[in-house]
Amino acid sequence: MEQKEKISSKEMLNNLMANHYKSAMEAKANGELVAWSTSIAPQELLETMDIKVVYPENHAAAIGARKEAQKFIDDAEGRGYSIDLCSYARVNIGYKNIQYADAENIPLPDFIFSCDNICHTVLKWYENLAKDLNIPLIVFDMPFNHTYDVPDHAVKYMKGQIEEAIKRLEKISGKKFDHDRFREVMEQSNKTSQMWKDASMVAKAKPSPLNGFDLFNYMAAIVTSRGTKEGYELFKRWKEELEEKAAAGLGPWKPGEEEKFRVMWDGIACWPYLGPTYKGLKNNGINMVTSTYPDSWTILYETGDVDGMARAYSSNYVNRNLNYGVDNIVNLINEFSLDGVVFHSNRSCKLMDFRQYEVQREVEERTGVVSVIFDGDQTDPRAFSTEQYNTRIQAFLEMLENRKEERRKG
Amino acid sequence: MADLKNMIAQLEQVALEPAKAVAGIKSEGKKVVGMFPLYLPEEIVYAAGMIPVGMWGGQTEIKLADRYLQSFCCSIIRADLEMGMRGTYNMLDGVIMATYCDTLKCVCEDWKVAVPQIPFIPMVYPQNRNIQPAIEYMKAEFSRVQAELEKIAGTTVTEEKLEAAWEVYEAYRAACRKFVKLVEKMPKTLNAKTRHLILKASWFMDKKVYTEKLNAIMEAIEAAPAEEFNGTKVVVEGIMTEPLALLDAFVENNVCIIADDLAHESRQFRTVGRTEGTVYERMAYRIADAKGDALLYEEMKTKGQFLIDLVKDSKADGVVVCMMKFCDPEEYDYPIFKVELEEAKVPMLYMEIEQKMDSVEPLKTRIQSFAEMLS
Amino acid sequence: MFFLGIDIGSSSSKAVLIDENKNILASAARNIGTGTNGPSIVVQEVLEAAGIARDQIQFTVVTGYGRVNYTQADKQITEISCHGKGIAHLIPGARTIIDIGGQDAKVIKLSQDGTVENFVMNEKCAAGTGRFLEVMARILNCNINELSDLSLKSKHDIIISNTCTVFAESEVISQLAGGASKEDVAKGADNAIASRVAGLARRIGIVPIVAMSGGVAMNPSVVASLSREIGEEITVAPHPQTVGALGAALFALEAYQKKEKN
Repeated sequence: MEQKEKISSKEMLNNLMANHYKSAMEAKANGELVAWSTSIAPQELLETMDIKVVYPENHAAAIGARKEAQKFIDDAEGRGYSIDLCSYARVNIGYKNIQYADAENIPLPDFIFSCDNICHTVLKWYENLAKDLNIPLIVFDMPFNHTYDVPDHAVKYMKGQIEEAIKRLEKISGKKFDHDRFREVMEQSNKTSQMWKDASMVAKAKPSPLNGFDLFNYMAAIVTSRGTKEGYELFKRWKEELEEKAAAGLGPWKPGEEEKFRVMWDGIACWPYLGPTYKGLKNNGINMVTSTYPDSWTILYETGDVDGMARAYSSNYVNRNLNYGVDNIVNLINEFSLDGVVFHSNRSCKLMDFRQYEVQREVEERTGVVSVIFDGDQTDPRAFSTEQYNTRIQAFLEMLENRKEERRKG
Repeated sequence: MADLKNMIAQLEQVALEPAKAVAGIKSEGKKVVGMFPLYLPEEIVYAAGMIPVGMWGGQTEIKLADRYLQSFCCSIIRADLEMGMRGTYNMLDGVIMATYCDTLKCVCEDWKVAVPQIPFIPMVYPQNRNIQPAIEYMKAEFSRVQAELEKIAGTTVTEEKLEAAWEVYEAYRAACRKFVKLVEKMPKTLNAKTRHLILKASWFMDKKVYTEKLNAIMEAIEAAPAEEFNGTKVVVEGIMTEPLALLDAFVENNVCIIADDLAHESRQFRTVGRTEGTVYERMAYRIADAKGDALLYEEMKTKGQFLIDLVKDSKADGVVVCMMKFCDPEEYDYPIFKVELEEAKVPMLYMEIEQKMDSVEPLKTRIQSFAEMLS
Repeated sequence: MFFLGIDIGSSSSKAVLIDENKNILASAARNIGTGTNGPSIVVQEVLEAAGIARDQIQFTVVTGYGRVNYTQADKQITEISCHGKGIAHLIPGARTIIDIGGQDAKVIKLSQDGTVENFVMNEKCAAGTGRFLEVMARILNCNINELSDLSLKSKHDIIISNTCTVFAESEVISQLAGGASKEDVAKGADNAIASRVAGLARRIGIVPIVAMSGGVAMNPSVVASLSREIGEEITVAPHPQTVGALGAALFALEAYQKKEKN
């Protein structure tokens, strides 16, 4: 009975995202401050200051999924942006100029918040936005960890930047930073992060109740709502739904559609080709059970511990060394009982690409699973070929089947 | 004049045969440490009694590096990895690499696996470089790198040795700043290629020796009569201007490089060191004080104005952008300074270059057209 | 008096002969380029058409990709300057030139007095050049000249999204296999080129009058797509293939007059 009264997590997600975009437009119209931020930045500071934030990466992904990226890309390239640069950046820079998309709309920012734990690219991209719009830019530089863990002198430097950012936020907003509120936000952010992670972990069940392409959808909310109770409630509901499905022994798809193989996806989605990339796997009984997404927003630290917070943000897998990158995937393979890995060689993301070959080799060697690399792009529709993808996936399937056959024979 | 030509030829030779130059240093019993692009704590290497040498790629066929890198990777870094894997760099006693961009972050990791035979010191420079915590961070990095270098050198680095090394480097940087201004007096003798080779030689020599040689060349230039020049004067922008055939095209079309904004050249020496503080602090502030550099974060990007001023000061006819293909940071800066240069009515030529190019003919056409346009 | 302009491209050779009043006396074009006997054939053709001998020519300028290796000219000038010169003569008031050749595409901005003010060229990639059309013609199993006729009959817009020629090839093959008509694919190819070249043009800014030269300008469907893409009318130069050679001949005349003056 209770079931019927609850709204589904999908509805919650849709409502949450609709409200996210709507409230940002309203805030701007009311003369409130709006910030643009990178997707894995210390949003705790902005949440504490009660400043509206929108996320250009999310927005570019939405535009890509809506298949309208090209016109924004054309605008940016017409201004001299190279076709070899990140397509999120090209879409967002085009959007800044055109300021209308069918997918979703975001208000122009009053200041910018950029954290390079996800790449050096965002530093340059946001630098350009700030210059073009002539607005302040707050940067969190998180030094690349060529060591396995985050060294102490890097933590000190990052903490110094957080303190600096608080001063600048006070200046920009004209409001005092409330440290009690900060603690509350930290606590909430950790709870939401943990719930996001817990929900994704339900996919360990065999068959997995989760079709991993859903991760790409729910990801929008962990970006925008990590510091909020609404985000927590959403992931809690999602987790319940997945647990119910798992308890009933239900797989990712309709009854009768068997999960033959379990794989993970390395890298960002191919937003303009979500359909083809999804079907290419599903039609072969391959379920993408997990990806590198869940851990990217599993940012955990003790409430009140700014050092720990800095360390957690700097610990994103793309900001850490090769050994960590390999361990990360090996652990996912073991935890989720995976048969293989699909690597997206993403023209937009040099930071993910230029270690991928070695990661692939080491992962295969340590786990014995098979894998495939395909060429694509996160939002540029010109850099992906469905035919080529399907051919690669078919070859991948043949390897998966062979491996299964070998195992069966012992 | 004959003397000047000889002195120049000596430096050109070093630049044309770096392996020989490095072997020469080694034969004197000195250790050499490879410096990946872009800016590294060379003073510490020098203070440890070793000679830093440049690793700015080369015109190499890529075979082995394909094991690690997709084709859309910066050609300098690809060539470095290739040569590392081939053993071309085996004469180096160590290599330092700093992660200035996403490509370097990755190659830092790949290198550890791909080139295990050479002691490797990764390091990080901060991007949020103008705040005190960044200075402290740099000092901590320098001290960590120093400990690694001491192991390779088998000596201890003292504050006096650092001080002496700093003096050598400041003298070298001052000499280079003076040299690039002298091109105006002798645009023919110091044509685009010669100018480049003279500056490039600094990457494969003891900076103290190099500075002496450069000073001698400058004395001779100051004594000589000025050369008449009716060609085109340009400022070049980018990471570097190789392959050399590219510079041949400048020379053939009577285009002189009157000033540069290249990472391989002026960006190495244009920031004057501060005089107060410890050597580490002075080194850190040289990074903090640098302006208009794509590889160093700058909240209000000043590069456009920097180039406009450089054109004015050097009385250049225009700017040639030598875009190192797949260099994200440079590619992001371009659309911003493009607008500023257009507004200032500075003529500009944009060319994409790679170290190994199938053909430089299209580039030659662009340079010739630009010269025709400006004449 | 006679002045000769020769344009040696990567896959074609062109020559134009003019007199001291800039009248075009003869022109010729062949689809073989540098490294072949193409240049000498076209030179021979214009000489014969005008009924003169080589030594009657006062001044010769060579342009194009093969200009550097051609030894029988008095001067070599780039195709950028020559296309600028040729268009300024043929279409007074033109401010933007779009030139799509076999291997490269360029956009040239002219000042009000017809001199080159700025230019951009495509980098490396074949997308947006005549080469892309050649590949498409091969897949559609037709002559390159027939592509335009096909395209003009297209009823449905299809998008060839890939810029990479190799990717585009497989994309087109699968679209044909999926039932797309040859006509629609030809139109898609036109649009793909137009979108690439328009991007190039936007980099230096498009100022009317927009003129077009180069072999691809003879393909009316590409011109139409391009015009739609940039939102400006395009004036195709008469004999677009020989605009560079004409510009070279005009430079030859100027150089001769300058020499005489001194």
